[in-house]
Amino acid sequence: MALVSDSEVLEIALNLLGFVVGLALGIFSYIGFKNTGSPTLFRLNIAFFSIGIGFGVVGLGFMIELFALGYSSVDGWIQTLGIGIQTVGYFFIAFSHGIKSFFPKSRYFKSLAMPLFIIPGNSLEHIIRSISFILLVYGTIETIMSYMENRKSSTIFVAAGLGLLALGEFLGWYSVIFPKSVLYFVSLSTKIVGLGALFVPISQVPLRGGMRFGGNV
Amino acid sequence: MSIIGDILTTTRDESPDESGSSVTYLIRKANVSYGRLAKILETLVEQGLLEQSSSERACRYRISPRGREFLQAYRGFREFADSFGLRI
Repeated sequence: MALVSDSEVLEIALNLLGFVVGLALGIFSYIGFKNTGSPTLFRLNIAFFSIGIGFGVVGLGFMIELFALGYSSVDGWIQTLGIGIQTVGYFFIAFSHGIKSFFPKSRYFKSLAMPLFIIPGNSLEHIIRSISFILLVYGTIETIMSYMENRKSSTIFVAAGLGLLALGEFLGWYSVIFPKSVLYFVSLSTKIVGLGALFVPISQVPLRGGMRFGGNV
Repeated sequence: MSIIGDILTTTRDESPDESGSSVTYLIRKANVSYGRLAKILETLVEQGLLEQSSSERACRYRISPRGREFLQAYRGFREFADSFGLRI
């Protein structure tokens, strides 16, 4: 077996933590969907499962390659695949806020967004990260606007969580300039903290066992 | 979904008497047309969330124990969705 560095172990641990947090949020949303039949909760269920599975693909993929297969370095496609699956999750969060209004025709918006796609044009992973970043920023802004209306403390936690996920994606995207630097671990840790902040609304839902209803309501 | 929540809440908290709420009363409270309300009420009775009783003039609707459980779950998950700035 190849010698595994501390940074690789930390990377695996953080990704597995993201996997668990994402799945927990996904399961909670699924329970909500099963109880109420709400399409919003169904979309959140897909979103969080995707985010969790995305983290899991990276964590488990790295673990298998380093520990089971004994590779000296991990394949880049695993990271790309994991980030891609996470992006699907971020898309569903943004979609829930009304993705149709996301693509304004203004030139100003295009001038802001286009560099995110052009600069790292040779790297699929960084293109995907750019998309995730935009989707998360959109979700954050929409959630902050909701906070302005309802003034609920849990909403600001969700906004902060989505914002931290966006920052994490941005730092991950930015690490193209400083590859294999501490920036990547800061990015991963920021994303985990952001995902953790999305847990706050769950603490406010009184869960009792045995609640099962038909899905056609 | 919010209409269902409004109907169940009305039948639980605001029924004018023990026999339940009339369709006219529910139309006023839920602010929906008769045709739409009739379909929703039919579904809710089929799902066992509302109990239907016939009086001399018209049907009346009362929330069932299962409907109360649903309403409790609905309110909890509505809070969850609200926290994301979304409507359930």
